[in-house]
Amino acid sequence: MSLTFERIEALAPDQASLAAARKLLKSSMWPTLAEGEGLVWGECQGSGATPYRVVINEADAGYKCTCPSRKFPCKHALALMWMRADGSTAFASVSVPDWVKDWLSRRRGTSNAASKAEDEAKSKTKPSIRLTEIHEARADADPKAEQRAAAARERNRLEREAAVMAGLEDLDTWLSDQVQHGMANFVAQTAQACRTIAQRLVDAKAPGLAGRLDALPTRLFTLPGPARPSAAIRELGQVHLISQAYRRTSELPALISADARQAVGWSVTREALLNDSDALRVDAKWRVFAVLSEAQPDRLRRVETWLWRQSVADGMPQYAVLIDFVPISTGAAVGGYLVGDQIEAELTFYCSTIPLRAQISTLKRGAEQTSDPLTLPDEGLSTSYAKYEHALAQLPWLGTIPLTFRAASVRRHGEQFYLYDDESGLSLPMHTSQANHASPLASLDRIDGIGLWNGYEFTLAWAQTQLGRWMRS
Amino acid sequence: MNLTTLHAKVLPSLLGGTSRHPIPGEVIHPSSSSSDGTLEMLSLMGQALRFERPATPESFIVEPEIKDERKIIADRLRRPLIRLLTSKNATEHPARALARAFDRLRLRPHPFDLPLIDAFVRSNAEKLGPTAQHWADRQKPEAETQSYFDPELLDESNWMQAALSRRVAYLEERRRDDANAARALVESTWAQEEADARFRLLQVFQTGLSMSDQSFLSTLDKDRAPRVRALAARFLARLGASSENPALAACLERIKQSQSGLLRKRTTLQIELPANVKDQAASRWILQTFADVSLGELAGAFKVTEKELIDAAAKSDPLLLALALIATNEHRLDVLELVVAKLPNAWELMFEAGLDTLGTMTGSERQRWEEIVVHPYRKDVPTTYSLWDWLHRITDTEAPASAMEIALHAKLLTKVPENERGSGPWVEMMAAICPASQRQELREQLNQFDQSQSVTPFALLDILDGMENDRTHV
Repeated sequence: MSLTFERIEALAPDQASLAAARKLLKSSMWPTLAEGEGLVWGECQGSGATPYRVVINEADAGYKCTCPSRKFPCKHALALMWMRADGSTAFASVSVPDWVKDWLSRRRGTSNAASKAEDEAKSKTKPSIRLTEIHEARADADPKAEQRAAAARERNRLEREAAVMAGLEDLDTWLSDQVQHGMANFVAQTAQACRTIAQRLVDAKAPGLAGRLDALPTRLFTLPGPARPSAAIRELGQVHLISQAYRRTSELPALISADARQAVGWSVTREALLNDSDALRVDAKWRVFAVLSEAQPDRLRRVETWLWRQSVADGMPQYAVLIDFVPISTGAAVGGYLVGDQIEAELTFYCSTIPLRAQISTLKRGAEQTSDPLTLPDEGLSTSYAKYEHALAQLPWLGTIPLTFRAASVRRHGEQFYLYDDESGLSLPMHTSQANHASPLASLDRIDGIGLWNGYEFTLAWAQTQLGRWMRS
Repeated sequence: MNLTTLHAKVLPSLLGGTSRHPIPGEVIHPSSSSSDGTLEMLSLMGQALRFERPATPESFIVEPEIKDERKIIADRLRRPLIRLLTSKNATEHPARALARAFDRLRLRPHPFDLPLIDAFVRSNAEKLGPTAQHWADRQKPEAETQSYFDPELLDESNWMQAALSRRVAYLEERRRDDANAARALVESTWAQEEADARFRLLQVFQTGLSMSDQSFLSTLDKDRAPRVRALAARFLARLGASSENPALAACLERIKQSQSGLLRKRTTLQIELPANVKDQAASRWILQTFADVSLGELAGAFKVTEKELIDAAAKSDPLLLALALIATNEHRLDVLELVVAKLPNAWELMFEAGLDTLGTMTGSERQRWEEIVVHPYRKDVPTTYSLWDWLHRITDTEAPASAMEIALHAKLLTKVPENERGSGPWVEMMAAICPASQRQELREQLNQFDQSQSVTPFALLDILDGMENDRTHV
């Protein structure tokens, strides 16, 4: 990945951090500035006696600093990136010091450098990035203890299964109540009604369903008033489908069972996914076409990085989404990737009927900005929409999915913008938050592009036009 | 069960509540319990709704056709431009300079960037071309919007559809070529104009004022806007077509005439300020009192030529200030030069007076005006920010090379008060007013300051250079 000012600006939690970083650009404030193996590191003299140690991985804009700042990246990391991007500061080419290797080995590594460092770090005592070394207690493996832990895990799993089942019974009762009173009535008191059942489902250890119901009032209120009751039917209908599918996982195909369990809230850890030899893996060139960031009620920010497969891989998923969660308090609003970046990586997909969410298992080439157009399929919006309908038939609670289009246009009816396919007459209402940003597209005749369809609104992410590339800001 | 049945028999029950409108028994699967069957219907109906395609509106709004002949700014300049214009700490100087550059170079922002620089576009729409004007007007009711076309293509058939400043500029040009035709254009739309527009259009009559304008000006004595009436009366007085200008009478009351000289008697004029006007407020009083008086009227009242009038006022700084203000108002830069020769601190005095516009002066007139008022300071450049800031605002143009040379030669940026040295407002303003030929020299002077404070001016200079050197188009 080449560090650019645009990337640094996007990574910065706020303008104040950039302004603070700007003051650290003098090389005199950096007793050490070095590079090697795709890493850049340095020591920045702060107000204390001990300089802060900063390291950056150029492959994915990963960073670490020993300063106590709660902003991520901190001004020291930003300053180091800035100096690197600027190119006017000399970095000594030396061998990677142990504290840098240590950091690299602790990362959830995706690059070759990370795995190499991990191997090296395993073979010797780890010197910490911290100047004051912290000795870690390393317990020797105990087979009996492992057996006890496995038994405890199984006991916990069974207890959770039972709790979920009990929660689903309560959910059925709640759903029946809502249906008895009618959806028009439900919409009027949706916030309170959903909050109550969401809390019950949290207690029942079904966080996936709880989150879906907790977010339902917000989703309904973003829609026009007359559309809300029917939207409530759609949403509650999906909840019931998930609930029923979960109860019948043994009767269903493995993929849809996995989807049902994930929808209820059984998560698969990254490590488990990467260790799963049956998981779908796709090695290709990927292009970032959208980065979405949303603050959640649990004070985490959900950052979705949507990828489009640029290279040929027949029968493999054409797109993927990487989902990261970062604390809101850090101010970070984006992941390491920017729209337009191209990476070469092997992605491992979570088990699903419609594989979508993935993790980077091996990053072969870091992100690089390119002005090349997306290699979109030669099909119109209606064809793409038909594929969505096909996917919906396979996974009834399918959420957001990318739709590509060619020769479509952005049209306006009142305040509402639509993506309109002249050939089929299909028009998708665009997300209301895009009214301002997408309005310049309304004066163009034909555009190609890609966006995200959630069943209600289309979020235009990327358009290729006669005026150049348009990207969602 | 088909979709029609679902819509007819299930949907009403789900919307209204099954307690009042039970789902008909025949649609529920026989093996299901009542509760399970109802929830199955909920899922089925929900899924059926998910497969319904979104409704297409019966019609879409037809976007107005915009004839924008301007070239779009180069791609490589777009990101720096957005960053500069959305920077929280930047002063308004960069935005002013950029708007002028767009106008002068006949460039326009990329249409996709308009939402990102919305505040800039709204403030400077007239200088950014028809596409930007359309963007700035998009919230206006349709009746208030205009046709969007390149103002370079203004003619008698479409001039009234352009933005006010363009119309004024067009009329100014027409007045120079054919004053009567320009007046006819104004008369044709006069009744539909708002007060501000009427005043600004009437100001144009200053150019090429003649007796043929008298009949039109006479009709304005009943205009609803007092300032329009006053301006018309002033023009009429200048034409000698009305009774004495009341503003002139008020001025003459305050000017004391005397004779001086032993061998050769010369007329001497001095202003006697009213007792209730303190020294600090004197210049403002002068601005207000002499606003509606012309040089010709004053000279005529004392039966002297304009040159003799200035000589007579030589020992009265307040009266010289009044003459400088009147000369500015009438675009009489030749007179202003004579006045400033006797009143070297005219710049500071006009600033104190609160002069806030150069009226309908053209760009070159504004630059010449600046040259005249700055010239006396070549050996002692003022280091007060507000003075320079005012100069930039009032001229709204880049500084003439000679004025910039004075600032650069004197190393103005290093002479300003220590606590302001290298500060954003100073460096951004200097970058904003600097002509292209002197940017390199300014860069060298800016390099002396902390880089953290001079990023914005460097960015501005780079963008301005880029706009001038690298125009692209679609």
